[in-house]
Amino acid sequence: MADDWTARINTGVPNPARIYDYLLGGKDNFPADRDVADQVLDIAPVARDVVEDNRAFLRRVVDHLTREAGVRQFIDLGSGLPTQGNVHEIAQAIAPEARVVYVDNDAMVVTHSRALLAGDNTVAIEADLRDPDSILGHPEVRELIDFDQPIALLLMAILHFVPDQEDPLGVVARFRDRLPAGSYVAISHGTRDIPVRPDMSPEAMTDMGARVEKLYQLTTATLTTRSHAQVERFFGGFELLEPGVVEIQRWRPDDRVPRLPGGFFGGVGRKP
Amino acid sequence: MTEFDWGGPTVRRMLVGAQLRRLRIDLRLSRAEAAEAIRASEWKIHRLENGQVRFKERDLVDLLTFYGVTEPDQVEELLALAADANSPGWWQRYGDVLPAWFRNYVDLEAAATLIRTYEGQFIPGLLQTDDYVRALVHGAHLEDSNEEVGRRVRLRMARQTLLTREQPPRLWAVVDEAALRRPVGGPEVMRAQLERLLEASKLPNVTLQIIGFGAGAHPAMGSSFSILRFSDQELPDLVYLEHLTNAVYLDRRPEVERYLDVMELLCVQSEPPAKTEQFINRILSEL
Repeated sequence: MADDWTARINTGVPNPARIYDYLLGGKDNFPADRDVADQVLDIAPVARDVVEDNRAFLRRVVDHLTREAGVRQFIDLGSGLPTQGNVHEIAQAIAPEARVVYVDNDAMVVTHSRALLAGDNTVAIEADLRDPDSILGHPEVRELIDFDQPIALLLMAILHFVPDQEDPLGVVARFRDRLPAGSYVAISHGTRDIPVRPDMSPEAMTDMGARVEKLYQLTTATLTTRSHAQVERFFGGFELLEPGVVEIQRWRPDDRVPRLPGGFFGGVGRKP
Repeated sequence: MTEFDWGGPTVRRMLVGAQLRRLRIDLRLSRAEAAEAIRASEWKIHRLENGQVRFKERDLVDLLTFYGVTEPDQVEELLALAADANSPGWWQRYGDVLPAWFRNYVDLEAAATLIRTYEGQFIPGLLQTDDYVRALVHGAHLEDSNEEVGRRVRLRMARQTLLTREQPPRLWAVVDEAALRRPVGGPEVMRAQLERLLEASKLPNVTLQIIGFGAGAHPAMGSSFSILRFSDQELPDLVYLEHLTNAVYLDRRPEVERYLDVMELLCVQSEPPAKTEQFINRILSEL
């Protein structure tokens, strides 16, 4: 039995969800995760800011989609460990009837999500986004989500864990084809295109990105940063909302003091 | 004069702080008044009571004097506790002062934002009915007077108000099927207890998972334990183990993480929370 257990959860192997939790100041991480995260921070001290900016981007996107676009159904793919400001909290604060599906392929993440996030109008399922049918056909998803009404698909800081040979473009397209008209997709994605410090040359940024990618080879996932053009291609078949694919810090910023843009590209598209 | 130089927050520091707060509040003194007594700022008292700051032995003695704690044994105990916090890494038993320590656990539990607990034999304390507690206390302390039993029951019940207070902590409990099947106090007491569990599992801040016999052996079979998490980012998680004659707190990261690891395994392997109601109903129907 014990062997089966460690196959589903092994705290001794660095794990992107727990590394992200650590970078966000969470406590659901283990020495192996912190070891890699600390090395990431050595190379890119700005990483903490970038993951925080990504949470802020998620908040602004969900706020916009709920408040302005009237979306009431969300599927959060690669949702990660529960933290402050989870999707259903943001959406249900505006529209209490909003429904949210959290999807992750990590057993610990799903267990935490079921324990801490699940409730009325919220479910968490264990599935792999590279297999869209397993998610869109999942009984709990079919029960909660109305496929005749607009759905917002959230792909926050997750597609960079799908390498090119696993066809991330095809994955997004397969989801797109199953969504009703008027649905949305929101993406944030790691990049090495934009220097994260004003004194940094593009070459230094490329080098920094390469070193972070290399570190992630120690984890249970591989990291593939992508260029602006590559990220934009994920929105094929969608109409991009203003201001298009930009550094996440520049996507409809609110009144908070803006941070230096960089690290992740992000955007939101609408299926016509 | 000794100055305790603690590298990081420890349970003991938090416990000394919790005791100081209790003493002050019992006397209905403000933090400002306490601060004046030791020529310090209100902020320092706040930090001291939260176990966040190192402090001088003289400050501690002055505070205790101000609070009217002059009994040499009591002063010594607190000073020793504070001094102990200086030792690197710890694993301590305080069997002789269990009642005081249990009070401390209640303080710490009340300060936690997340309480994760695994119970192999009992219904978790925060979810027990008073009849269940009474049956347990009778079972464990045959010589106790009725008055003592009543006191223990009241203590347990007072502790439970935590779950329904404003801004309650979240309780995430894993209970072994064995604890649900053992008819503590007889079938009627157990029926009411199981119904109470069903009710509690519907609270928005309570998550209940059951690890059924079908899961086979699991890594926590040998010991029940709780992990307390605090909102302050600086405060480490604490592991609490209750034994027959004493209680143990663990706050050294490698040890705490071993328990956290086991807790994660357990939660992944247990029935998901959505299955709890069905599981308990089945046991109820077989009772």
